[in-house]
Amino acid sequence: MKIALFIPCLVNQMMPHVGIATVELLEKLGHQVILPKGQTCCGQPMTNSGCFDEAKKTTLKLLNAFKGVECDAIVCPAASCLVAAKENFHEFDTSPEAQAVIDKLYELTEFLHDVAPIKAFNKPFNHKISLQLSCHGIRMLDLATPSEQMGPRTNKVEAVLKAIPSIEIVYPGRYDECCGFGGTFAVDEGAVSAKMGKDKAQAHAETGAKYAVGFDPSCLLHLDGMMRRQKLPIETLHIAQVINAAL
Amino acid sequence: MSTNHTSGAGSAVHAKKAEIFCKDEARVDWHSKALWMLREKRDRAASSIPEWEQLRELGSQLKLHTLTHLDQYLEEFEKNCLANGIQVHWAKDGIEHNQIVHKILADKQVKKLVKSKSMLTEECHLNPYLESHGIEVIDTDLGERIIQLAEQPPSHIVVPAIHMKKEEVGELFHDKLGTKAGAADPLYLTRAARAHLREKFLSADAAMTGVNMAIADKGTVVVCTNEGNADMGANLPKLQLHSMGIDKIVPDLDSAAVILRTLARNATGQPVTTYSSFYRGPQTDGEMHIIIVDNGRTDMLQDKILAESLKCIRCGGCLNTCPVYRRSGGYSYNYTIPGPIGIAVGAQNDDTNSIPWACTLCGSCSYVCPTKVPLDKIIHHHRRLKAKAGKLPYGKRSYMPLVGNFMASETMLNCSMSVARTALRILPGAMLKPFSGAWGKYRELPIAPKSSFETWFNKNRGQ
Ligand code: SF4
Repeated sequence: MKIALFIPCLVNQMMPHVGIATVELLEKLGHQVILPKGQTCCGQPMTNSGCFDEAKKTTLKLLNAFKGVECDAIVCPAASCLVAAKENFHEFDTSPEAQAVIDKLYELTEFLHDVAPIKAFNKPFNHKISLQLSCHGIRMLDLATPSEQMGPRTNKVEAVLKAIPSIEIVYPGRYDECCGFGGTFAVDEGAVSAKMGKDKAQAHAETGAKYAVGFDPSCLLHLDGMMRRQKLPIETLHIAQVINAAL
Repeated sequence: MSTNHTSGAGSAVHAKKAEIFCKDEARVDWHSKALWMLREKRDRAASSIPEWEQLRELGSQLKLHTLTHLDQYLEEFEKNCLANGIQVHWAKDGIEHNQIVHKILADKQVKKLVKSKSMLTEECHLNPYLESHGIEVIDTDLGERIIQLAEQPPSHIVVPAIHMKKEEVGELFHDKLGTKAGAADPLYLTRAARAHLREKFLSADAAMTGVNMAIADKGTVVVCTNEGNADMGANLPKLQLHSMGIDKIVPDLDSAAVILRTLARNATGQPVTTYSSFYRGPQTDGEMHIIIVDNGRTDMLQDKILAESLKCIRCGGCLNTCPVYRRSGGYSYNYTIPGPIGIAVGAQNDDTNSIPWACTLCGSCSYVCPTKVPLDKIIHHHRRLKAKAGKLPYGKRSYMPLVGNFMASETMLNCSMSVARTALRILPGAMLKPFSGAWGKYRELPIAPKSSFETWFNKNRGQ
């Protein structure tokens, strides 16, 4: 497939390794990857704060970067940004061209689970990992059934990863409680955000896993800062890095 | 701990109060754990019913239906109440509610009123009003009585004294009720409270309760308690009063049954509250009054998104699951009702313009809610309304427009991020920390990469 990458500003500027792993793994799976120019930010920091006027210019700039780009799918390795992009595109542009872009948007895990499943992994991943089920991915993108919901359970993240030879998957206590990043919440409500992050980082460390693995770079960035401050014997990895290492 | 929860100029913003609460980390952990235990009990109770998600959907539909036909059901309710010999009063706001209650009590020369838990009377600030008119008000729910003796407002809508440890209750009871010094045994303390309350029940001239549901086609109100205190109150004196918000109405017994099945399960994990009493008329020679209160609810109905918050049945489930509430405590919200639902129904009255931002939008509350109140959407919507009204919290007011312009410009974003990355790489963390605000205060700063992803891509996949 021909895939256009949607690389959010945080990944572009602060976590390029997540973007690189995404490119490499998609290519190993036989896809052609392109990076449409002119992407900055989806507008989430503004719309999440209620500032829709301020978000408009940015959001439309990102949307325009994808309009008319020839591709089969637009893939993003960041769940929260993807959800925001979808919603914000819709908010500011109701044209059929905008809808065409929205219809092609996929979060990486979602893409690998629903659209182009991985047939086989080539290499083992000899580590115990603790899965970070970030809020927007599970509650707004249905990547996994949230703990509050009763009835049949799905978990796309685990389904994608568990086929990797010798990987061991565990979960932290209160496994899908928010890590406290919440965009500008981390700055506006510093004390509560930090306490949430500390509790989450400790819960991951208590599993004895070597890595906390997730699909949302912003949560991982927050947890990484917490883990290093608390000197916990665990590190963060993005799901793309784990998959790339096993292909 | 601060007990000042009233909104108004001068009250601290949520983040400030939360920061103070967070200073005692052991207490935060204890508070968070106590509430999480309720969440776990709720999960066990909900999972024991195969049709749980269907019940939530039913609950949501029936509340939506009632809210869209509110005038019709309220009229039907009033008609049936009158036929049952109940006197019905209408109050447009809290002040009117308090005046009506006072008039009923004054006519009968009531000196002592026993009251069973009602968030609505808290919302209307009834207690201080009646006390200023010389009427003694005794809250009879154990948790409510504890905070009343401590002269504090509730910090949770179902477990109002959840912020107090049993040792603190022991101390308070020693002071106010003369229990043994240092006693902290819950059974001993409960017995002491019971004896003290029994004396109040027997000498009360009137009783008042909140209302969990009002059944339109029967002219009946439903009151749920675990301690039987509402029934004890309502059955002893001849005069009984019930206060309800217009949103408490349900069409019939079947719909009440749906809500009864989820209410206690979602609140405390019990299959049903110990006492679910249906009051459908005064006692012989007695009087029964129902006061139906609007207090801003009709205004809320005008906004399609805010209207859904009126589906709430006040189970408290969203407070128990909320990771922010558990770590910031009920008094940080500047409103009688804290937590997600408190933000949903109270943000308009929040002069600090801070509570809509006391939320990470994680969405757990919306999934926990037995009537599917879309709390995260409502909270997000409140932020937009505040922004539109020019009421952003101070920090945001100044930096948001800048962020907007900044993010829309690739050159600006690329240049400054490149500077930031360089700074992060070459300056020692300690030097940067003071400049990085709340982030660096609690976390290590990110380890900055040398260059951006785009630079890597252009170099290695050259387009
Ligand atoms: S909003 Fe829902 S979960 Fe929260 S108190 Fe109301 S009914 Fe319960």
